[in-house]
Amino acid sequence: MAVPDPATSHAVPLRPSIASRLLNWGTWAIILALFVVSVRQTGFNLEVIGEGAFDFVRFFRRLVPDWRALPEIWRPLLETIQIAYLATVFGTLIGLPVIFLASFNTTVNAPVMWLARSILTVLRSIPDLLYAAILAPILAIGPLPGVVALTIFTMAVLAKLASETVEAVDPGPLEALRAAGAGRNRVIAYAVMPQIAATLTSYVLYIFEINVRASVVIGLVGAGGIGILLNRYLSFFDYGGLGTMIVVIFVVVLAIDQLSVWARSRLI
Amino acid sequence: MAHPPDPATIPPTPPAARRTQVLLALAAVGMLALMTYFIATMNLPTWVRVVAGFERNAVPLFRGFIDPNWGVFDLASRAMLETVFMAVIGTVIGGLLAFPMAFLAANNLLGSRLLAFPGKTVLVGIRTFPEILFAIIFVAAMGPGPIAGILAMGINSVGFLGKVFSDVVEGIDGGPSEAIRAAGGNDLHVFFFSVVPQVLPEFASYLLYRFEINLRAASVLGLVGAGGIGAPLIQRLSFRRWDEISMIMMVIVVTIIVVDTLSSSVRRRLV
Repeated sequence: MAVPDPATSHAVPLRPSIASRLLNWGTWAIILALFVVSVRQTGFNLEVIGEGAFDFVRFFRRLVPDWRALPEIWRPLLETIQIAYLATVFGTLIGLPVIFLASFNTTVNAPVMWLARSILTVLRSIPDLLYAAILAPILAIGPLPGVVALTIFTMAVLAKLASETVEAVDPGPLEALRAAGAGRNRVIAYAVMPQIAATLTSYVLYIFEINVRASVVIGLVGAGGIGILLNRYLSFFDYGGLGTMIVVIFVVVLAIDQLSVWARSRLI
Repeated sequence: MAHPPDPATIPPTPPAARRTQVLLALAAVGMLALMTYFIATMNLPTWVRVVAGFERNAVPLFRGFIDPNWGVFDLASRAMLETVFMAVIGTVIGGLLAFPMAFLAANNLLGSRLLAFPGKTVLVGIRTFPEILFAIIFVAAMGPGPIAGILAMGINSVGFLGKVFSDVVEGIDGGPSEAIRAAGGNDLHVFFFSVVPQVLPEFASYLLYRFEINLRAASVLGLVGAGGIGAPLIQRLSFRRWDEISMIMMVIVVTIIVVDTLSSSVRRRLV
């Protein structure tokens, strides 16, 4: 009986190539080097961590929830969820056509695809809180800048995630419809959408989870929601209110997350 | 020869598909109704206020993008460099803390779901809080500055890194571990010569990915007083120095795009 050749047998795992091992160790070396430089430059050290942890624990012990704050938390909390919901819906509606413009198999032509992708890259590189901080003076303090900020964010992230899915669909149905003379819109509606609908819904739910987290904090820069009240508790050192709010945020975000995770697990 | 199908012979939509159509239509109507209700009850500014705000603030902001104020470029790039350093330290702290958590939350290494449950619960709890909330608490507890931001990022990264690390550990190939056991190795040998070498490349890839996320977070931590480029930004926002704000924004955008591109090209090759 012939002994299987280790180089060709699939049962015997190959030793990773030199290049991939070099890349692995190289990456770790770069991470280490960056860390050393960063620590030197910022004057960060273990003592600081210790002090920080100490301060954190001492502060946390003072955060005893005062449930009398609950009634006044209720309305801004609702506003937070409204902002997240509206931004997710608007962002999805605006982002939907952009998804197909940014995918090579459904775009109009190469320059349009390139333009759509570049705009998305720039939009995605701006953090949501920064959008909110800039839009708050422009669109007046309140929920409106929050909705607009998270709408832009939703659109950019959804278009990026979903266009990767669109590019990975089975090309067969697309070709069949094109061969039968269907235009771009028909191809998208009858060949692409059925293939991506479940994934798309799951992405929208995932982005809604992110938006809920974001809409909790955008009020700190004046963009509406529970963050405005959070800011007030902080500046008045209202530990009771702060503690209640942290518990409320934790429960609400956790509940929405778990619901959404459950729905997503049913989808795909 | 094939005949075109007679329309009468085309079968009607099957009942299951029709039910899905009805359900989808109902869901759409429900979502639209909720949307209308939310907009109607929301506290929205007047149209006049929005137009005025646009003229007063958005116009100078966009003028700043076309004709940037290079006077703040030095300050902005120095603050951005500090932001990058903060993100690096925050990510590494998160990684160091997540490394043991990954094994404490992995079903296969602990041998049972029950033993991994506490670890998994802690990670879910950490992931629930928005990053900025951690930053606010750290700033309130230990005063403003980059250290508060670094610690907030470090803690928050543990939630994400611990989860993805433990997923990686749960997905490893059992072969090498068995081989080491068969050759007489103990648990420690298995851990260091089978588990760790298998997970390191993916750990590195996730660390880089988290670094990209943390860099975005670090750019805005300053808005709540936790150091980095957000600090000069929030100052200029309160004085409405739009020409300088657009310069700072451009520094942030360019840095983030460059770092993302570099990091994702390494990640693509790693895994």
